[in-house]
Amino acid sequence: MSGVSRIVATGFVFLGGWATTLQSQEDTTEVDRPMVRGDMYDKPYLAQLAGRTAVGGYVEFHARYARVDGVKEEFTFLAKRFNLFFASQISDFIRFAAELEFEDAAEEINLEFAAVDFLIARALAFRAGVILVPLGKFNLSHDSPLNEFTDRPLVSTRVFGVTVWEPGIGALGIFPVGSAGRITYQIYAVNGFDDGLITESDGTRIPEGRRNFEDNNNSPSLVGRVAWSPRIGIELGASLHTGPYNVFQQDGQEIDQKRNLTIWVVDFEADFRGIRWEGEGGQANIDVPASLLGIYAERQQGFYFQGMWDFGRQWIRTMPKSFFSAGARVDVLDLDADISGDNVKQISLGFNFRPTGETVFKFNYVRGRARDRFNNPSDFADFLFSVATYF
Amino acid sequence: MTVRFVLTAFSAVLMLAACGEIGTEAPADGETLDAPLPGLTPEELAAFLKGDEQFGFAFSPVLGLGPIFNNVSCASCHSGDGRGRPENALTRFSRSATDPALDIGGPQLQDKALPGATPETLLAGVLTSLRLPPPVFGTGLIGAIPAASILANADPNDQDGDGISGRANMVVPAAFVPLDEPGGGSGPQLGRFSRKAQVTSLLQQITEAYHQDMGVTSDFLPVENVNPQVGTPTETADLAVDPELPLADLRAVVHYVRLLAPPAPGQDTPQRQLGEDLFAQIGCARCHIPVMQTGSNIIQALAFKPVPLYSDLLLHDMGDALADNRPDGQATGREWKTTPLWGLRLIRQFLNGQAFLLHDGSAGSVEEAIIRHGGEAQVARDAFVNLSADDRAALLDFVESR
Ligand code: HEC
Ligand code: HEC
Repeated sequence: MSGVSRIVATGFVFLGGWATTLQSQEDTTEVDRPMVRGDMYDKPYLAQLAGRTAVGGYVEFHARYARVDGVKEEFTFLAKRFNLFFASQISDFIRFAAELEFEDAAEEINLEFAAVDFLIARALAFRAGVILVPLGKFNLSHDSPLNEFTDRPLVSTRVFGVTVWEPGIGALGIFPVGSAGRITYQIYAVNGFDDGLITESDGTRIPEGRRNFEDNNNSPSLVGRVAWSPRIGIELGASLHTGPYNVFQQDGQEIDQKRNLTIWVVDFEADFRGIRWEGEGGQANIDVPASLLGIYAERQQGFYFQGMWDFGRQWIRTMPKSFFSAGARVDVLDLDADISGDNVKQISLGFNFRPTGETVFKFNYVRGRARDRFNNPSDFADFLFSVATYF
Repeated sequence: MTVRFVLTAFSAVLMLAACGEIGTEAPADGETLDAPLPGLTPEELAAFLKGDEQFGFAFSPVLGLGPIFNNVSCASCHSGDGRGRPENALTRFSRSATDPALDIGGPQLQDKALPGATPETLLAGVLTSLRLPPPVFGTGLIGAIPAASILANADPNDQDGDGISGRANMVVPAAFVPLDEPGGGSGPQLGRFSRKAQVTSLLQQITEAYHQDMGVTSDFLPVENVNPQVGTPTETADLAVDPELPLADLRAVVHYVRLLAPPAPGQDTPQRQLGEDLFAQIGCARCHIPVMQTGSNIIQALAFKPVPLYSDLLLHDMGDALADNRPDGQATGREWKTTPLWGLRLIRQFLNGQAFLLHDGSAGSVEEAIIRHGGEAQVARDAFVNLSADDRAALLDFVESR
C-alpha cells in the first residue's frame, strides 16, 4: 500500500466514524446550502430535476481586442465554451452528475465531470468518477455565467491548472458548526499530474501536466479541501494537491528520482457592506530535475482578489429581475518565484448587466504588465466583451 | 462606500486614458532592436515576420528541445534581439587549436539536459572560453560588406607601424553550408560572426545555434548532439523525431536575422560631436571603424548601404586581461573580433537596466570596457584614461549614444 492510499484509507475510517456520530444531530438552517456555491450540485437547471435526469448547461461567447506594447495583438470573436450538464437522482442514496465541455467551437472536448455520489449522511458521501478536483474554490465553481469577469483568474488557470479534472475516488461531507456555520470537506485520491508539466513546455507549466485519464506513474496523488463558513456569504477554504508527477518506476525498476508536485491554495468569499469580495492565492512547489534548474521553475505562486457591487435592480421596469454589477479584480502571477522576472500583474475592471441572474453581459478592460525571464517589461491592454448564460 | 468604490475604478480608467495609455504605447521608431531594415518588399517582410516568431519560439522537450542543450529559444539568450547576460553565456572548450575535444563534448558545453540524459561537465585539462550572447541585429548588413573591403583594413604584420595589426579569421565553412550561401564557398572564407569571427555565414551560425544551444536538429544537422562523457545513449532521452525543425522555419530565422535593422543612433549634440572627434583622435576608430559599405546584393535593402557599425570585423590582440587563451580557428587565445558599438544606446533597455559588455559580459559599463582594453588597444586605452574629465565624458556620451 503506497503512502497516499494509506492516508486515504485512514481518512475514510476516521470520517466514517465521525459521520455516524453526527447523523443523529439536528440539521440546521443551512441545510439547503450547496457544498460549494456554484459547484456541480448548485446550478440553475437543477430546479428542473423532476424526472430522473435533468439536462442543462451554459454557453459563452467572447469578443476580444488585445494590444501589447502598442501593437494590435488580437481582434477576434470566440465561441469560447458550450458546456452540457447532466444530473440524475437515481435513488435517495445515489446521485450522478456530469459536465461535458466543448471549448473553442468544439476544438477541444472534455469530460470535466462524471461522478457517482453515494450519500451515506450529510457528513459523508463517497464519490467516484471523473472529478473536478477541490483545488481552490475557483476550480469547483468556474462557470462563465458565474464568473464576473470574461477571463479566469491568472493564478487559478496558470498555476493551479483550472480547470483540473481527473478520475479519482474519495469522500465529501458537511458538518454543522454552531447555529448557521459549517465545515465542509472533500478528499480524493486521484491520478495526479504528469511530466507534461516539464516536457510539454519550455518552462514549468503545470496545466500541461493535468487531466490524466490514467495514472502515468502508478502512484496516486492526494487532493483535498476544507472550508469553514460561519454563515451564509462568508467562506474560507484551504486546499492541497500533492503527489509524484514523473515516471520514476517502470517494470518494478527504479529509473528516476521521484519528483513531487505540491500545490496549496487558500480561498475566501465574503459579502461585506454590499460588496461581494472573493479571492484565492497559493503556491506550487515543483521538484525539477537538477539538469533543468535555471530554466524550469521550482516555485510558482500568485493570487487574485476581486470586489463586485450589484446595483440598479429596479432600473429596467420591463426586466424586473435585471441588475448591474461593477467591480475590479487584481491578478498577480509569478511563474518563477526564484527570479525577479517571469511574472504578470494586471488589473481588470468589469461592468456587467444581468437581465436575470442566469445570464450576463460582461464588459472588461484589462491592463497589465508582463515580465520575461530577463525581467524586461511588456505592457498589455485587453478590451473584452462576453456573453454567458446558463440554459 | 460602494459609490466610492465605483468612482475609484472609473477614475483609474480615466487616468490611464489621460496618459494616452489606455491601449498601451509602442516604442518609437529606432528604439527597438527587432525592427526590419527599411525598404523591404511585402514578401521580404512576410518572411521576416515568420522568422521573428520563430526567433522567439521556445522549444519544449516534445517539440525537440535537448537531449542536451543550453537554452530554449534564440530570444532567451539574445534578449530583445540584443545581447544576453552572464547567466546565459556559453562556455566553449577544446584542448588546442586543432583538437576541439569532440571526444569529451567539445567544443561547446551543454550544461542542461532532459530527464534521462546527463548534462556535460568540464573535464580537467581543457581550454575554456566564456561567451556572452552578442546582439544579432545588423548581422545581415555585416554579411553584405564585400570581403575585400574588410580585408583591406587588415594589417597582420603591422606594416604601418601604428601598433594595431588586425587579422582576418579565415575559416572553412561547415560541410552543410551550400556553396552559394552568403559566407559559403569552397576553401577558407572570411569569418565575420561570433566573438572571434570564427563563423562565415549566418546560416551556419543559426543552424549550429539550434543544434548546439537548443538541441534542435534540422535538415542541415539532422543527428542529435550527444554527451560523449556518458555510456547511456543520450538520444534515448530525446522526445521528438529528427529533424525537429522544418527547413522553412530555419530559413525564415536566417532571413529574419539577416534583415534586422540596427537601432538608430541618438541625437547629435555638441558634446557628442566632440566625443566623435576624440574617438577618432585617440585611435578608437582604427579598430572601431565608424562606417563601412555593403556591396551589391540580391536583397535591395542590403545593397550599397552604409553600415555604421563601429568595427573593422577583424581580430585584435587585446592583451592579457582580456585573453581567454583558447585559440578558435586562426584566432589566437589573445585575439577578439572588434565588437560593433552600434546599439549601445539601448543596451540597458533589454537587460532590465543592466549593462554587460565585453566577450564574457564582465564589464558593467562602457568606461569599464574601455579601461580593460590592452594589447593593440593599449595606446588608445591610455589616451582615453589621460583625457580631461570633460573629454572623457564627451567620448563616453558619444559611444553610449550609438
Ligand atoms: C545559449 C544561448 C544562445 C542561444 C539559445 C542562441 N544563441 Fe546566438 N549566440 C550566443 C552566443 C554566446 C554567441 C557568440 C558565440 C561565440 O562568440 O562563439 C551567439 C552568436 C550569435 C550570432 C552572431 C552575432 C554576431 O554579431 O557575430 C547570431 C547571428 C546568433 N547568435 C543568432 C542566434 C539565433 C538565430 C538563435 C536561435 C536559433 C540563437 N542565436 C540562439 C548564444 C546563444
Ligand atoms: C586594437 C583595436 C581596438 C581599439 C584601438 C579599441 N578597441 Fe574597443 N574593442 C576592441 C575589441 C577587439 C573588443 C572586444 C573585446 C572583448 O570582447 O574582450 C572591443 C570592445 C569594446 C567595447 C565593448 C563593446 C561591447 O558591446 O561589449 C567598447 C565599449 C569599446 N571597445 C570601446 C572602445 C573605445 C572607446 C576605444 C578607444 C578608446 C576602443 N574601444 C579602442 C578593439 C579595439
